[in-house]
Amino acid sequence: MKTSRVSRGLVGLTTLVATLSLGTVWAAPQVGQPAPDFQVVDTAGQTWTLAELTGKKTILEWTNHDCPFVIKHYDSGAMQALQRDATDAGYVWLSVISSAPGQQGHVSPAMADDLTERRDAHPTAVLLDESGAMGRAYDAKTTPHMYLIDESGVLVYMGGIDDKPTTNQADLEGANNFVRAAMADLAAGQPIAVPVTRPYGCSVKY
Amino acid sequence: MSGCMRTLLRCSHGRLLAFLLLLAWPWFGHANPVTTDHVTLRLVAERTQVAPGSQVTLALVFEIAPGWHTYWRNPGDSGEPPRVTWTLPEGVSIGPMQWPRPELIPVGPLANYGYSDQAVHLFDLTLAEDWPVGDPVRLRADADWLVCEEYCVPESATLALTLASGDLPGPLDQTEADVVAATRAALPRATIDQAVLVAAPAGLRLEVPRQSLPLEITGAWFFAGEWGLIDHAAMQPWRLTTEALQLELSPGVRAEQAAPEGVLVVADTAGNLSSFDLQVTRTAALTSGSTAPPISLPLALLFALIGGLILNLMPCVFPVLAMKALSLVNSLTAEGPAGARVRRLDGLAYTAGVLVFFLALAVILLSLRAAGLAVGWGFQLQYAPFVAVMVYVFFVFGLSLAGAFTLGARLMAIGGQQVGYAGAFGTGALAALVAAPCTAPFMGVALGYAVTLSWPLALAIMLTLGFGLALPFLVLSWMPRLARVLPKPGAWMETLKQVLAFPMFGAAAWLLWVLSVQTGPAGIALVLTGLMILAFGLWLRERTQVSGPAPRRLGGLAAGLAVVSALYLAVATDAVETAGSSSAATSGSHLPSEDYSPARLAAARAAGQPVLVNMTAAWCITCLVNERVALSSPALAQRFAASGVLYLKGDWTNRDPAITSYLAEYGRNGVPLYVYYPPNGSPEVLPQILTEEMVSRVLP
Repeated sequence: MKTSRVSRGLVGLTTLVATLSLGTVWAAPQVGQPAPDFQVVDTAGQTWTLAELTGKKTILEWTNHDCPFVIKHYDSGAMQALQRDATDAGYVWLSVISSAPGQQGHVSPAMADDLTERRDAHPTAVLLDESGAMGRAYDAKTTPHMYLIDESGVLVYMGGIDDKPTTNQADLEGANNFVRAAMADLAAGQPIAVPVTRPYGCSVKY
Repeated sequence: MSGCMRTLLRCSHGRLLAFLLLLAWPWFGHANPVTTDHVTLRLVAERTQVAPGSQVTLALVFEIAPGWHTYWRNPGDSGEPPRVTWTLPEGVSIGPMQWPRPELIPVGPLANYGYSDQAVHLFDLTLAEDWPVGDPVRLRADADWLVCEEYCVPESATLALTLASGDLPGPLDQTEADVVAATRAALPRATIDQAVLVAAPAGLRLEVPRQSLPLEITGAWFFAGEWGLIDHAAMQPWRLTTEALQLELSPGVRAEQAAPEGVLVVADTAGNLSSFDLQVTRTAALTSGSTAPPISLPLALLFALIGGLILNLMPCVFPVLAMKALSLVNSLTAEGPAGARVRRLDGLAYTAGVLVFFLALAVILLSLRAAGLAVGWGFQLQYAPFVAVMVYVFFVFGLSLAGAFTLGARLMAIGGQQVGYAGAFGTGALAALVAAPCTAPFMGVALGYAVTLSWPLALAIMLTLGFGLALPFLVLSWMPRLARVLPKPGAWMETLKQVLAFPMFGAAAWLLWVLSVQTGPAGIALVLTGLMILAFGLWLRERTQVSGPAPRRLGGLAAGLAVVSALYLAVATDAVETAGSSSAATSGSHLPSEDYSPARLAAARAAGQPVLVNMTAAWCITCLVNERVALSSPALAQRFAASGVLYLKGDWTNRDPAITSYLAEYGRNGVPLYVYYPPNGSPEVLPQILTEEMVSRVLP
């Protein structure tokens, strides 16, 4: 009697552990699967959720204005050009800052707006993910780290912004911008040719 | 300098010269070392003079500010590896950047692979044969790197280094020798290309054969060479099996596409780290030898059953079985339904004896393996005291059968004098005990398969094997018409019983020889003394049986004392066990052989030499018969010599983890195993019952 209770307990425990560990595996975003949900405020205090974005194509850009890799893309104007092209094409562009308070890249709403204006950036909104909840849900590792979500809320691209993982502006010339390529594939109604790449940059300062 | 330019004429001659040189040589004006905000970088050479046509090692040394780090070739979740661009004169070439083993640097929920305090990258410089001796070798390195603490700073520097050239390479630069030596020690020691990555339901499992790794391992970490293969920050639980180091890895987002390679770092008991380049093969199934795909469970059970049946015919089991046959004939004296019932119960008791012993053996085997010991089927015969005790057992039963003395009533039952369930049980256990080392041809694969399975399945296979061993007698004991088939009991039985003593003595003689291989003459002396004492004690007991109670008690005491002394001597053989220097090879073969070692095999294969590997053991009868029949003729030796075949012999008489893991590679858990490696192409496993024709067929 006792042994059977013990073994039933063991089975239960194993199942629990298996469920939990599978749970964490499922939490990691996967291309071709619904993108993880989020609920984050922007610099104007407005709350954004994934559900509200249904019907629109969305680009998520993890950023940290002090990170040399981010600086490379903003100082050259390449990121702003991409933001303009994307928003012109009907994309919602959300720049996400997951730096924790006190960490590099953490900004107040006013500072974030000031950065947007000073750098002539064109995001639809800048999300302030101080808790890192959204960053962890997307498994965002670097700045920049890029994600594309289609109209039905399915994640179609995640990874680096291009294939030249350096801080040198000169490397933008001739680099293959994966986000532009994914946008072109999506516009042509084709599956994304390169849906997952290595994100490069500074680590997200959770 | 700009001041000098403005007032050129006022410059001293020296400064003017320096300025002009700066214009002329791109190398001048570049400092070495260079100090940036977080790093001091220097470029040094192991020798300051290099000779045409020779190599010299360069070291690019990053002295990193405390708390900051640079990155490995796969930086992990973020970061970038350093890059170097060389500007070299014609006639100078530089090999790829070398990466010493990295450390794991956790960054919140993320992880990086990199270096703290100091990162040293070696490069091999080769100077052309026609380099004019005496011309300086001027090198320029443009280095870019990312250095991070909480945040990251990209830095860069240009370094210049000039080496002298001479007829001979210069002496080692003592000031940098330590740095270069320490970095060399931190480079991957060897490339292991036999590792496999198994797609397990819970994630990925990396299996690295232990033969290439240090014997004792106290820690292990796998650094993936390409981003996306694994989750860099996830824990890597590891364990050791007999054959492999296993690491549980969490898959990365490109686990299926990323190149399965990287560096394995292991720690030994002293905490020393060593690293290995891994070239990993992906596999979806249970790993077994590449040439012996795992067989299915029903087939394995069938093989086990057939193997068990065949065991009945093995020379080591035969005497025991003969005794059992006598007991069966004897039981025929009991006629009618009562007799039949007794026979049936007897058969069941015998089967139970076999099964219980196989169960015990299987549990011990699996426990030892779980504890990380490299043991295989027949492992008990690798333990000299066990062999010694078995010599006693066969010797004493032989004496008893020959009629030198009678054993007690209970033991007599084992000898087949009368029907006793305890006796039948004991005979079964004895049969299983001596049968285990006689790995029949069908058993090798089934047992090799069994040990890769979970405990319940492995036990099922081993019990099936035992059932196969017990089956013939069980069937006989349950056949009601048996009495008509078997001869009537009579005086012939006493003669047969005495004749059966001689297979017993034969078995004892064989085991003595096994022991001589294991322990040398010292062990034989101990056991022969033990046999003498045992015989004397039992004789004394026999002589006092018919005397009064006092002498009888004395006789019993003497016999007990003799048994204890003999056992003591048996255990003492453990101390004289020789460490595998023996050779089961001394079987009068004309075929010259070398001792097997993984390194010898690898070297021969790398050299394109054909190799025949023979895994054998002194206690393996099949092995010895094969060697005698198929691997000993002068004609075959000539063919081996003519075609340059290397004959490697692995002696598994004593425990040897290298051989155990080799067997496991081919899905086996016992000897014999014959594998032929052609100069090019994949190895071929030869049958376990071998003829010379089979061997010469595969030779080139």
